[in-house]
Amino acid sequence: MANITKKVSWSSRADESGAAGEGTPLLNGSEQPKLSRQDSLRGRPKEIPHNEKLLSLKYESLDYDNIENQLFLEEERRMSYMGFRCLEISRWVVCGLIGFLTGLIACMIDIVVEELAGIKYQVVKENIEKFTEVGGLSISLILWAVLNSVFVMLGAIIVAFFEPIAAGSGIPQIKCYLNGVKIPRVVRLKTLLVKVFGVICSVVGGLAVGKEGPMIHSGAVVAAGVSQGRSTSLKRDFKIFEYFRRDTEKRDFVSAGAAAGVSAAFGAPVGGVLFSLEEGASFWNQMLTWRIFFASMISTFTLNFFLSIYHNNPGDLSNPGLINFGRFENERVAYNLYEIPLFIAMGAIGGLLGALFNVLNYWLTIFRIRYVHRPCLQVMEAMLVAAVTATVSFTMIYFSNDCQPLGPEHTEEYPLQLFCADGEYNSMATAFFNTPERSVRSLFHNQPGTYNPLTLGLFTLTYFFLACWTYGLAVSAGVFIPSLLIGAAWGRLCGILLASITSNGSIWADPGKYALIGAAAQLGGIVRMTLSLTVIMVEATGNVTYGLPIMLVLMTAKIVGDYFVEGLYDIHIKLQSVPFLHWEAPATSHWLTAREVMSSPVTCLNRIEKVGTIVDVLSNTSTNHNGFPVVAQVAGSDEPAKLCGLILRSQLIVLLKHKVFVELARSRLTQRKLQLKDFRDAYPRFPPIQSIHVSQDERECMMDLTEFMNATPYTVPQETSLPRVFKLFRALGLRHLVVVDDENRVVGLVTRKDLARYHLGKHGLEELQLAQT
Amino acid sequence: MSLYKNSAFFVLSLIYIYALVSSDGANITISYAADKLKVIPTLSPAVVVPSPVFNPTVLDSFVSLNLLSTFPEDQEISEYCSELLHIFGQRYVAYVNCLVPAARPVKVCLNCFSTYDSLIVTYNNISSDKMGPGNVSCRDSLLRSDRLMLVYLLYSNVDSLWTKSNCDHCINKDPPSLTNDTVYFMSTLNQTLTCFEKHQQGNQTELCKSCKTIYRSVNELYGRMEKNQTMCIDIEDAMNITRKLWSKTYNCSFPREETVPVIAVSSFMLFLPIIFYLSSFLHSEQKKRKLIHPKRAKSYASLMNIQDKMS
Repeated sequence: MANITKKVSWSSRADESGAAGEGTPLLNGSEQPKLSRQDSLRGRPKEIPHNEKLLSLKYESLDYDNIENQLFLEEERRMSYMGFRCLEISRWVVCGLIGFLTGLIACMIDIVVEELAGIKYQVVKENIEKFTEVGGLSISLILWAVLNSVFVMLGAIIVAFFEPIAAGSGIPQIKCYLNGVKIPRVVRLKTLLVKVFGVICSVVGGLAVGKEGPMIHSGAVVAAGVSQGRSTSLKRDFKIFEYFRRDTEKRDFVSAGAAAGVSAAFGAPVGGVLFSLEEGASFWNQMLTWRIFFASMISTFTLNFFLSIYHNNPGDLSNPGLINFGRFENERVAYNLYEIPLFIAMGAIGGLLGALFNVLNYWLTIFRIRYVHRPCLQVMEAMLVAAVTATVSFTMIYFSNDCQPLGPEHTEEYPLQLFCADGEYNSMATAFFNTPERSVRSLFHNQPGTYNPLTLGLFTLTYFFLACWTYGLAVSAGVFIPSLLIGAAWGRLCGILLASITSNGSIWADPGKYALIGAAAQLGGIVRMTLSLTVIMVEATGNVTYGLPIMLVLMTAKIVGDYFVEGLYDIHIKLQSVPFLHWEAPATSHWLTAREVMSSPVTCLNRIEKVGTIVDVLSNTSTNHNGFPVVAQVAGSDEPAKLCGLILRSQLIVLLKHKVFVELARSRLTQRKLQLKDFRDAYPRFPPIQSIHVSQDERECMMDLTEFMNATPYTVPQETSLPRVFKLFRALGLRHLVVVDDENRVVGLVTRKDLARYHLGKHGLEELQLAQT
Repeated sequence: MSLYKNSAFFVLSLIYIYALVSSDGANITISYAADKLKVIPTLSPAVVVPSPVFNPTVLDSFVSLNLLSTFPEDQEISEYCSELLHIFGQRYVAYVNCLVPAARPVKVCLNCFSTYDSLIVTYNNISSDKMGPGNVSCRDSLLRSDRLMLVYLLYSNVDSLWTKSNCDHCINKDPPSLTNDTVYFMSTLNQTLTCFEKHQQGNQTELCKSCKTIYRSVNELYGRMEKNQTMCIDIEDAMNITRKLWSKTYNCSFPREETVPVIAVSSFMLFLPIIFYLSSFLHSEQKKRKLIHPKRAKSYASLMNIQDKMS
């Protein structure tokens, strides 16, 4: 037992991370001396290599809790009935705008990718055709690799050097944002631009990526921008939607934006709403859901409308989604009861493969965080991946003997002949020499017999490793499409094998149907989403009867996968050291009480406090606190004082900036009274304390916080159990929870990081460490 | 009642034609079908002319039905319409007769466009809403009087065949003739085939070398036509056969002969990431995280607590 407890303690943390050091010998070497002197080192900052069991200090909570101070009450009193009605209407307008803009962005990405990729593939195709004849195909290979690398280089440079937060799919970040974590710069205009440009580059660059995940992030940024009625980056203020300039309102719009993004990406409005509910919005109500749905619908149909214009049949609204799975409607793809066990088995395979994918990607990501952290290295890595992707694809195509006759309807966009007979094309090339989305569609819908099993097997294998290698690069790109593609390939393989086992089986085992099931299983195994993914898949295929098999497959994939490792997004959230609050507190934590969880002692402020004290407290870099309990004046400094309110750093900064000092108020009676608007104007980028100048005289002034503090903060007694505190936090979206004793005296403060550090590991309850990142 | 009678009779008369045509298509030799064709002109009037007498020796199976066909005169279709119907039947048979031998290799457009055209002219006559003699429109009486709508069905069959084979792309509308593109393509193709034939006896590599230019030109021409959408099934099929001859029979496809350079370049490319990761592992400074010790009330006590409760 003693062994186990040692794992839990603070001091043995380094030991554990060293032991679980992912086989990097350097770690142990650097850790050993510190271990021996650990007790003497207590208090001094200790350095350890990055691992998943850390919480970063750079992430803070969002202020979802409404600050009910006197200013707020006054404003509410002043507002008329009409005012509230107008607010409600403007919420709808904002949601409509979010949907429209998100759809527009999706449409733009789609068109640009299609055009650019078209040019690229045309150039490479012509080159290959030329060199097939006269010899020198290795030049085509180099051309392809260089083209890919150049595009990816552009995308990687802009991400790595300008906005690293735009890397990856953005879903983990949005998930964190909606969970209540303020990820720096995640919803800025610059991020959106980098994201859109980056995703175009990486898809055109032929990486094993999709543009669906970034759409969700883009939708969220659009929402956060539109709802504020201004852009801080462009320094433009349209003086509209001022009421929405706070975290609570913004969060609701961001969840609408994420939903709009999903719905534009997959043509799945309901799936988008459910995604928002499942992944993000811990806080929702009927009206909000309805508004989110509105935004989703608008977004899908904006996309449809503009794509219909692009495809030269304006007004046709029935071509939804960036990824179009095509229609599964004819009787060939009907399924039967006896196929359900087969589907479930495929779900289990998907779970296993997904877990393998996640584990590999986890190791790779740790390596990247530790060693490939410099921007220029990241750009180089991305370029290498692009070049290798092209090389592997080319080699596969070159050595493939699978030739298929050209179909009459020309579903193949860029058929490559190479060494096939005239009038035939290389079947491997349809899978590799194409944007991933088209490959998915051709795997779903091409006639039985279009691919032979060897081609599919090789394709699955290579693409699996390529996709795994690609995710986590410093390019903005999603993992949805690669997962679907891997799954569709081995699913189709299953279908073909099943059909060949049974003598007359080709009738029931349609490979397209199995490709769909495989795709669902693989995606479910990697991202472990349940409800929303089912609905998204059902909506994207446009066939409700697939609901049952897809649901069963996703359930199986999740159960099997969760046995081994978490979902990909959760892994990345952990590796980012984000203080993420899950739905429930860790199971065996009831014996922990608020007294053990809380931070203590607390920096408190008096109701009427000296400006100098406030400035000192705020400037203290070692304790970057954000909320300060306001207490009634006490004489002794060590004695805990009675709680009478809570005030935030951001409020104090605004107060200091406007110099709301008692002495000044007396001398200048005409001074304008501070309003809630002044706080909103400073939102969301409150200036740092260093930029506020306070003269020596002013330091002696006093500040009266009574009017501005939240007079009724949530409090808990010291004996409250951790799950109870957790529930309060999660359900109310709190940022600070004051722990008081039986006389309402402040004894501690619980924040998000205090709660998020407990998690259930292999050895029971474990604590995460705080670290500067 | 009258409508019913009318249509019943009409159906009867059509079944006969249909039986003839379909049996031709199925398994009766063409000469036999041609014989039957000659019979029709003498028979048809017997069916449609308002006389209750049928020739029992020819139409044994209809004997029992004879009674049904005694319609009052005004419910019959007009002479004009029956004449149209008759012509339609004739031309239909002629077209089908042309189609069947043209099935393999496909020549349905090039060989049969004239018969198709005449068939369409007849059908257009039937379906036009112009009044014929006696102020009757044959469109209603022939095309829409019953559920089966046989004439329309037959026509739409042929029409879909025509559309499916894209014959419009090879055939000029007025007057019906082959398009210039088609003629040119066919002549180039024939040259290619002649070339193939000439060199068939000799070495195959010889054939590949000497027919390469002409084959290439026909291939390019085909590619252009494919892009312009100016080709029909006949051209596609002819090209397919030629390509098969070229690639499979004479084995003139490109050989895979640069395996070594491709492998060399790819292994070089695959080698790069290994170098990259190794060098960044060895040379890059490992990123370290500074641990922060948060303020805790009796943090040791809480640890003790954990220990107590865990054990």
